[in-house]
Amino acid sequence: MHISEGILSGPVLFTGGALAAAGTAIGLKRLDYDRIANVSILSSAFFVASLIHVNVGPSSVHLILNGIVGILLGWAAFPAILVALTLQSVFFQFGGITALGVNTVIMALPAVLCYYLFRPLIKQNHLIAMIASFLTGFLSVFFASILLGVSLVFTEENFWEVSMLVIMANFPVMLIEGILTAFCIAFLKKVHPTILPGHIS
Amino acid sequence: MLRLYRTKTPMNIFLNGELIFRAFLTKGINKMTKFRSKKMSLRIFYTLLFSIVFIGHAYAHKVIVFAWVEGNTVYTESKFSGGKKVKNAPIEVFDAHGKKLLDGQTDESGKFSFKVPQKNEMKIVLLAGMGHRGEWTITRDDFGEEIEENIKNMDSKNNMSTQTSPMIESKAVHKEKNAIPCLTSEEIQMIVEKTLEKQMNPLLTKLNKLLAPNTSPDVSDIFAGIGYILGLMGIGAYFNYRRKKE
Repeated sequence: MHISEGILSGPVLFTGGALAAAGTAIGLKRLDYDRIANVSILSSAFFVASLIHVNVGPSSVHLILNGIVGILLGWAAFPAILVALTLQSVFFQFGGITALGVNTVIMALPAVLCYYLFRPLIKQNHLIAMIASFLTGFLSVFFASILLGVSLVFTEENFWEVSMLVIMANFPVMLIEGILTAFCIAFLKKVHPTILPGHIS
Repeated sequence: MLRLYRTKTPMNIFLNGELIFRAFLTKGINKMTKFRSKKMSLRIFYTLLFSIVFIGHAYAHKVIVFAWVEGNTVYTESKFSGGKKVKNAPIEVFDAHGKKLLDGQTDESGKFSFKVPQKNEMKIVLLAGMGHRGEWTITRDDFGEEIEENIKNMDSKNNMSTQTSPMIESKAVHKEKNAIPCLTSEEIQMIVEKTLEKQMNPLLTKLNKLLAPNTSPDVSDIFAGIGYILGLMGIGAYFNYRRKKE
């Protein structure tokens, strides 16, 4: 889901860069430095996630993990994802350097969105928390696919065609991530609930 | 407070160093216990580490197009990093000034070949959909030397020599009648080309394999990236500690 170098036009890259900068600024301000270890662990998980590859017919897609990054970090997902994407771009050449801002917005904005949508639900009883965390993982990839379609709309022909293609190609990823997020949140609730959002540390 | 050795013998200096290092270490550990999630983070970290070790087959996500020239044809191969072939994807070829020369499509095995349109620098661009793009530049050096011209020069030289000696024409005719059948220059050229092709083919395949860009990321790159992230965490924690001390 990383956009390569040379695909997007100047204005789109510039807008993406500005939005990513704004999001990162907010994220850094709201970052609890006592919890910086969490942020870096989740950033590393995101960094490695794109290496896990799911074969879908003719194309190949990879895990994104922005759901769990979002629900655990909130706005701090922006700097975490920005750092991980920069390192992926430099070391693995995933995604162009100029498209860094756009790629960050595509992956971090759904993470923050799901944080606001599902944060209160995680605190509830077990069943609601599981469903909410499944939806977090599912919808964060879904929204990321939509945003990918939006950013490509100025280069590709048809927004609906591209979006449908991306959503269908990433559907297995959505399911896998939903299940993964559900298991992670269930585990954390039992073992270490202070790490979850909304708990006062 | 630290109780260091006063007399400055080499042994004492070494022991002092060790005491100072140990003091820093204990301070660091005491600081780290402030992080509530230390145990959890360690668990997640070890799980991550193990999963990296067992990734093995894990693939990555960029698209690569690789091209080489053989004779009059340019061959291209397109893959996703990880080795999966890019099927039925559009390919465009541009010249050094950005003018489009031709376009085509990769076949079921990710390959696409075309006749050389011009012996100059060319850029081959692959669009694999969903925002993936790869490119490869063919330089002047990738093209071989022109062999036909040398042969043409040789032939014209032969014609010249027979034309400028009408007086010894009779001798030449005699020579022709008694001439032993020998190879013409074209036949020699064909034989040499065929032998060269046979000998060079295995070498060229090996060379192309070496030149092809690396598809899957190295484990060393993974560790490098994680190292940088942990380094940033350390810097952030250090400045947080400094700020809190004030």
